[in-house]
Amino acid sequence: MSNSSSSSDKRVRGSVLIAGGGVGGMQSALDLAEAGFKVHMVQKDSSIGGTMVMLDKTFPTGDCAMCMISPKMVEVGRHLNIDIHTFAEVLSVEGKPGDFTVRVVQHPRYVDSAKCTGCGLCEQKCPKKVISGYEQGLIERKAIYSLFPQAVPSTRVIDKDNCIFFQKGKCRACEKLCEAGAIDFDQQEEEIELKVGAIILSPGLDRYDAKVRQELGFGRWPNVVTSIQFERILSASGPYRGEVKRPGDGKHPERIAWIQCVGSRDRHNANPWCSSVCCMYATKQAIIAREHDDHIAPTIFYMELRAFGKDFDKYVDRAKNDYGVKYQRAMVSAVREEPGTGNLILRYAKEDGTLVDETFDLVVLSIGFQPHSDVKDLAKTFDIELNEHRFPKTTQFRPIDTSRDGVFVSGIFQSPKDIPETVMQGSAVAGRTMALLSEARGSEIVTKELPPETDINGQEARIGVFVCHCGINISQTVDVEQVVESVKGEQGVVHAENVIYACAQDSQDKIKALVREKELNRVVVASCTPRTHEPLFQDTIRDAGLNKYLFELADIREQCSWCHMGQNEDATEKAIRIVKMTLAKSRLLEPVSTDSVSVIPAAMVIGGGVAGIIAALSLGDQGFDVHIVERETELGGLARNLFYTLDKSDVQEFLKAKIDEIQAHPRIILHTGTEVKSTNGFVGNFKTTLTDGTSFEHGAIIVATGGIEYEPTEYLYGENDRVITQRNLEKRLAVGHGVRSGEKFVMIQCVGSREEPDNYCSRICCQDAIKNAIAIKEKSSDAQVVIIYRDIRTYGLRETYYSKARDLGVIFVNYIPERKPQVEVSEDKLRIKAFDYMLSRDVEFEADWLVLSTGLRPHPTTEEVGKIYKLTCNPEGYLLEAHVKLRPVDFPSEGIFLCGLAHAPKNLDETISQAMAAAGRAGVILSQDKLAVSGIISKHNRDMCMSCLTCFRLCPYGSPYIDEEGKVSHNEVKCMGCGICASICPAKAFQVNNFKDEQILAMIDTLADGMNM
Amino acid sequence: MTEEASAVAQEGVSSVEKTHDIPSDWSPNILAFACHYCAFAAADLSGVMRLSYPTNVKIIRLPCTGKLDHIYILRAFEKGIDGVFAAG
Repeated sequence: MSNSSSSSDKRVRGSVLIAGGGVGGMQSALDLAEAGFKVHMVQKDSSIGGTMVMLDKTFPTGDCAMCMISPKMVEVGRHLNIDIHTFAEVLSVEGKPGDFTVRVVQHPRYVDSAKCTGCGLCEQKCPKKVISGYEQGLIERKAIYSLFPQAVPSTRVIDKDNCIFFQKGKCRACEKLCEAGAIDFDQQEEEIELKVGAIILSPGLDRYDAKVRQELGFGRWPNVVTSIQFERILSASGPYRGEVKRPGDGKHPERIAWIQCVGSRDRHNANPWCSSVCCMYATKQAIIAREHDDHIAPTIFYMELRAFGKDFDKYVDRAKNDYGVKYQRAMVSAVREEPGTGNLILRYAKEDGTLVDETFDLVVLSIGFQPHSDVKDLAKTFDIELNEHRFPKTTQFRPIDTSRDGVFVSGIFQSPKDIPETVMQGSAVAGRTMALLSEARGSEIVTKELPPETDINGQEARIGVFVCHCGINISQTVDVEQVVESVKGEQGVVHAENVIYACAQDSQDKIKALVREKELNRVVVASCTPRTHEPLFQDTIRDAGLNKYLFELADIREQCSWCHMGQNEDATEKAIRIVKMTLAKSRLLEPVSTDSVSVIPAAMVIGGGVAGIIAALSLGDQGFDVHIVERETELGGLARNLFYTLDKSDVQEFLKAKIDEIQAHPRIILHTGTEVKSTNGFVGNFKTTLTDGTSFEHGAIIVATGGIEYEPTEYLYGENDRVITQRNLEKRLAVGHGVRSGEKFVMIQCVGSREEPDNYCSRICCQDAIKNAIAIKEKSSDAQVVIIYRDIRTYGLRETYYSKARDLGVIFVNYIPERKPQVEVSEDKLRIKAFDYMLSRDVEFEADWLVLSTGLRPHPTTEEVGKIYKLTCNPEGYLLEAHVKLRPVDFPSEGIFLCGLAHAPKNLDETISQAMAAAGRAGVILSQDKLAVSGIISKHNRDMCMSCLTCFRLCPYGSPYIDEEGKVSHNEVKCMGCGICASICPAKAFQVNNFKDEQILAMIDTLADGMNM
Repeated sequence: MTEEASAVAQEGVSSVEKTHDIPSDWSPNILAFACHYCAFAAADLSGVMRLSYPTNVKIIRLPCTGKLDHIYILRAFEKGIDGVFAAG
């Protein structure tokens, strides 16, 4: 290894500290490390992963949380330029942006991570059981443990307070058993000093302590659980392995109640804010519970259903219609246990006011988020200001900047939010940091120097086989020696032996030495899963001069010894078969050369609204040339009609400042009054021509085509000039129109939203109404404002403005879509009649102004732009991201990114975050000199190809294309190696490297050969 | 269809193998094709959780179930493998 670090007196450092290793911190770390920055990740827990690893599935797609996050954790854990310090905390921060000194305390694990192989034997044999915090107290863990099975790092940690040796002076069972000699009872606390250029805070949040709400019975009645406990109950790897059972008696519950807003939206006894995610996770839990057991009848008790995100309303509709989830609008006043049954009696008032008692088998409390109890200490350590709710102080226009320069925030620590928004902010802070430290990019990263590759062309296979004991993890079930003996005579095998830990340093050195000594040209290791360990062994043989694709791993632990315990003979037979199948494949392995392509360090941003402006500025500040393409003659998009935000920040002033910045920026080129005509090329190498004839080259594309406001046809709009939209009202109020004493305003929500044909929430309208209502009341306190709404969706900290509006005397009337308000005009006055669902009676208001809260629509050009780049839209016309949870600003096609209203309706601060995220993601690509093409891709043989176009139609990444000769060619840069083309090609003109047909067929044949028939 | 009728119907088609009794100690050989990212990960997790299943299931890892070719399945059956399981 060589360290290309520059001299230490340099002012701007190319390294970053990330405090917090949840999904947001991991996203920042990967983006920054890929873009040429050294990352130090400090995590308090013994593993990275954060809150997401505890979740079973995620809304609204039902994807398994662990399946998504676990590969990310492995990637972070293995990255050459990410140092993770788990079980560690930041003690102090000194210095200034570009040059901070951070002191970190590393708590002792009592396990030497350099020696520990993560085999987990110690944990199995440890005699001491302790209540598991990770499993939310539902089951026990051991005193030496890993937080969860997929923990990164896998090094166990000894819980000193519960360890028998530490408490009573004897035991040391783990030490005796550990064949790697990794247990170290003498380990001490250590202090580390890190020098970094910037700091990212993403430590996550705590959950509300449900015990505080005593009337709901948590901690008292065993069958009242928290939502995070229920998450573990649903999890296939959880305490009940996915069986829905009651903790009290193990019975299968049928009637399950969710109680929403426990600890949230309650400024008297709990937290005043809305936790943003509980309505959706309760919906998800109800659906998943039904999927696990269709006898379950879920009821969700809610105050307001906040399904404000992309496709959330549709998800709730599915819960109601397809899964029979009952949504009961009521506040539950008390939960009592029914004596003898363990069932729970909920008392609540129905819509008509009658008080009822209803019995349930299990109650789930939807607990909200709140800052960690030690957040004040954390704020002191990092010297940042907190707002009145103990969240870091940020503003609408600078949502990820703290009060201290060079210290940024992301994720739920910034304010309550869901996973995609956290990931988005993770990329946003990465982009922000890349801009701040752009001059030091690449100065502190480590690159690896490798020996030249041995040419094995024309050689017979010379295979080395290493069978791992994994301590006794494998060898207690599989007869490892017998496996070794069974392969010794196999064709091509020139060396076979068993090793205690194949992954330990001594074994790695042995493999390298044997590759050289015996001139091995293939290596097979039989040990654990390729998902975590293949890259390690690939690097090992590459160090010894072999192409890394000449390696194969046979999984005889996870897929053999661990699932066939006690069946030693059969398990050994199976292990032999697996190894022989792997050998059959390995004989046919071929070296794979990985190509790379150069990158043009420039971006094109389509759309000059706030999203496009922010993305362009961030990329320009990162040091890349940027072309903004805006079809109108001026920049600003929809924000030109906005005047102030919920927190009274001046939008026009902000917009003007940003446009000035754009115009003065040396790297930004503005193309207004024109549109994209065509783009050719691929990631790193695009060439675009505009309708005005200009053309330029660029390496990345950001689609920020924005949205438009719905023009209403309802409620006499356009017929009566006293019927206006929120935007009209905002302008009137902003340009100095006064409000008369006693002037009457009635607002109607969800105009053109949440009903066919536009059945989605526009997310911004509730805040707009409240913002304008507060402005009216502040101008004239005896003006009358009535808001007729379906659900007030002031999620997150916006909730406090809802409370403020109520305090100011704004009247809220709840309507249901089946009984919409009616508008009449009589004698120059507007009369609005509505059925108040809460009061269960008709109400009537006179109004000087009827203000319609109209929703958002995607910009009409979005579809056209989508067609140019083969991007798909959802049925509403918003562009579909690559992955709803973990790739919220990417497209499946590499090099193209998404932000702003083109993605979905959102507020200004969210658009700003997302634009910075898109710029961060684009920065990762643009900062590369060359983009390496993955080795596992499909190879196209043009001589065999009939150009039938089957691949062209079916490839999800658009890599096959029609070339200048009118035949199919294959762009390997776009290829992801899924192999769809290879399996459907009638001519077999495609083969995927390392998964070639002959290799797979050889495995099948070897399996069949060994069967007893 | 009654058993008799079914036997008669099958006899008419010579290419259909006659059903024969399954010996009580018979266990099928099963080959699973698993996507690297999900089903293969699930198989790993079953090991991590020490969930047991019969040893006569062997897994071949694919980069995606999109890579599963008809010829793999046909070859498996041709060679006498009793069941193919595709997961991804």
